[in-house]
Amino acid sequence: MSERPQLFEDASGRHAVLLPFRLDQRIGEWEGLRTAMIRRCPEPFSREEWAYLVAFLDAANLRAPVNGAFGLPASQQGGACTAAYRPRGPVAVWLPSNVSLLGPLMLVLLSLSGNSLRLKAGSQATDLTAVFLEFARQHLPAGPLGEYLGRQVRLEQFGRDDPRNASMAAEAAARIVFGSDEAVQAVEALPHPVGSMLVAFSDHRSVAWIESAAAGDEALASLIRVFTIYGQAGCTSPSQVVLLEGRPEDALRIRDRLLDLWPRVVRHDPPAYLASENVMGRQHAAAVGWQAVLAPRNAAVLAAGAFDLPPPVGRLTLPIIPAPLAAAVANLPANLQTIGHVLEHPEDPAWLRLLAGTRAKRFVPLAAMHHFGPVWDGWEFWKQLFEVVPLC
Amino acid sequence: MSDLLHAQPFAPRDDAAFLREINVLSLRHLAGCEPYRRMWPDWSGADSLDGIPFVHVGVFKHLLLRTTLPEVRHQRILTSSATSGAVPSRIALDQQSSALQSQSSLAILREMVGPQLRPLLVLDAAESLRRPGEVSARIAAAMSLRPLASQIHFLLADAGDPRSVEWDRLREVIRGHDDLLVYGFTWILWAAWGGADLPADVRSLLRGKRIHFVHSGGWKKLEEVRVDPERLRAALLEGLAPQSRVIDFYGLVEQIGILYPLCECGFRHAAGWADVLVRDPWTLRPLIGEVGALQLMNVLALGAPYHSVLTEDLGRRVEGDCPCGRGGRRFELLGRMAQAETRGCANV
Repeated sequence: MSERPQLFEDASGRHAVLLPFRLDQRIGEWEGLRTAMIRRCPEPFSREEWAYLVAFLDAANLRAPVNGAFGLPASQQGGACTAAYRPRGPVAVWLPSNVSLLGPLMLVLLSLSGNSLRLKAGSQATDLTAVFLEFARQHLPAGPLGEYLGRQVRLEQFGRDDPRNASMAAEAAARIVFGSDEAVQAVEALPHPVGSMLVAFSDHRSVAWIESAAAGDEALASLIRVFTIYGQAGCTSPSQVVLLEGRPEDALRIRDRLLDLWPRVVRHDPPAYLASENVMGRQHAAAVGWQAVLAPRNAAVLAAGAFDLPPPVGRLTLPIIPAPLAAAVANLPANLQTIGHVLEHPEDPAWLRLLAGTRAKRFVPLAAMHHFGPVWDGWEFWKQLFEVVPLC
Repeated sequence: MSDLLHAQPFAPRDDAAFLREINVLSLRHLAGCEPYRRMWPDWSGADSLDGIPFVHVGVFKHLLLRTTLPEVRHQRILTSSATSGAVPSRIALDQQSSALQSQSSLAILREMVGPQLRPLLVLDAAESLRRPGEVSARIAAAMSLRPLASQIHFLLADAGDPRSVEWDRLREVIRGHDDLLVYGFTWILWAAWGGADLPADVRSLLRGKRIHFVHSGGWKKLEEVRVDPERLRAALLEGLAPQSRVIDFYGLVEQIGILYPLCECGFRHAAGWADVLVRDPWTLRPLIGEVGALQLMNVLALGAPYHSVLTEDLGRRVEGDCPCGRGGRRFELLGRMAQAETRGCANV
């Protein structure tokens, strides 16, 4: 630890964070990378993914986990600290083949924790984390962040049966696993140090709850933007839209308004195979009872229906279901991640009471459904990457 | 049904008769298949082929469609091979269609390999025949050659392992015959024969024999190992009599009985009881001379609405007469639509 303690304070007291680098400098280095990122979007990132990553590297956004965990910067003078925080130790991260932007976002957040990283990418696919890491290594000017990424971040690509999985687990103070429940269980079963922390980001689904009265064009455009990022493949994309206390005719009205808005919000065509899949999705949905239509240029399928219909298929098929609130709660996915909402009065305490009876990991405005942060899947994982040393 | 089936497969056709028949067939399916009716609720007829309703090929992976009418007697379920680990398609076969489909494939195959009977060697295992109630696409394709076979021999001990060729059985057949018919899925034909290390005595026994190799099932697996049609052809025909041929058929399990052979000039031809459209994937507008998604049609599918199927295969319709002399709609098959990996949260 060559840096002197960095002091923060919140209502619980004054905290010393013991890191070998200056947090404000590291955040500044990440933010500075945006200049190069704006000039070029490397394959295979989509423009939307790259734009999200650029926005994520905003200094204010990167300060949020730090401030959320430790409070605001304190002056060097002042009273004694109540606790010191130091990096927990080596972190191992398992990223499966199709994992999304969560890989690069996690890399950025973990770099602020001062722990060395060993990341395993899927063996069969192009991995966004590897591409972003390479981009950062190439474009960062000489400095502590570049040095950290070069010396303390190790990214490897291998399969689930490779013995390196065991060596990763064996040396990790914290294990972060993205993947199916089976993949998480497999990592959990690998021998690991006593006290090694496991954070599992496993199979989850999200939903959108919309009150018809609040479903203006801005909210619907937001829904389109959020859904099209990963469609049904994204754990934070709305896998269905529930129109709270809505009627079937409301669902049709919203569906048709989404149709009108679609080409204004999404200005590029889907790839041919997805356009084709959407034709299939529309037909399948119609066949099993949904009132399904294709968005212009076969960009998506919008299907109005009910909870008791067989689920429609297709990566870009969005079910729209009118339902009373009680039915919306009763039909939440068992592996619920996020409820993205468009509500007239989201501040109403009644929503908090209702949340107490659900397994929702996040209850956020619709537009924020994909926003990744230091609290995820119910884990305050970023703060837990530090050991706490009480001082009084 | 279908007077069209009485003509030679690639002879000139009465297009109006085809349109009339496929209109009638579409209306039958609308009457007898509720899910299909829900897909096309407002359809009542078309005055050109591009107005004929279709079912996207992917629907058959999720729904088992059946047309229930008094005269339709369903039999077995045909399943696709789903070689990429995907969900297989399932097609409800019926008695009358099966008979028509057999006639169809026989007429098309006879046109390509000649009418004479000869031993048929199938690169599959006999056990594949013994699944009650179901028949795989591989077996269905092989069995379409049965009327041209004087005897049938299954050459694989294990249907899943193309290296399990029973060489003794092959030796026995080769010793007794100069003309042979061999059928296999394209990649199996390569793995078991063309690209395999044939025993020296088998290679010697094959020298000078007249063999028609018939294959179908697509090139995806062979593209992965960089084997193109010319390499497959050269490997298979090495040392054989000059009359030997390699015949590549395109077909879908969702269009059973309809084969689209690759002619000497590099085009696929549709038989008179079938037709092909090409559609823009983003608008579904019919395309002539441009690349788009193939829509395959035939008038033989009575038990379920697989008479008009929009595929994920890319092709281009070519107008004018083919130098090979065959009539019928001709087109170029340009492979599957490129798929990108699904990106998400690892939960798909």
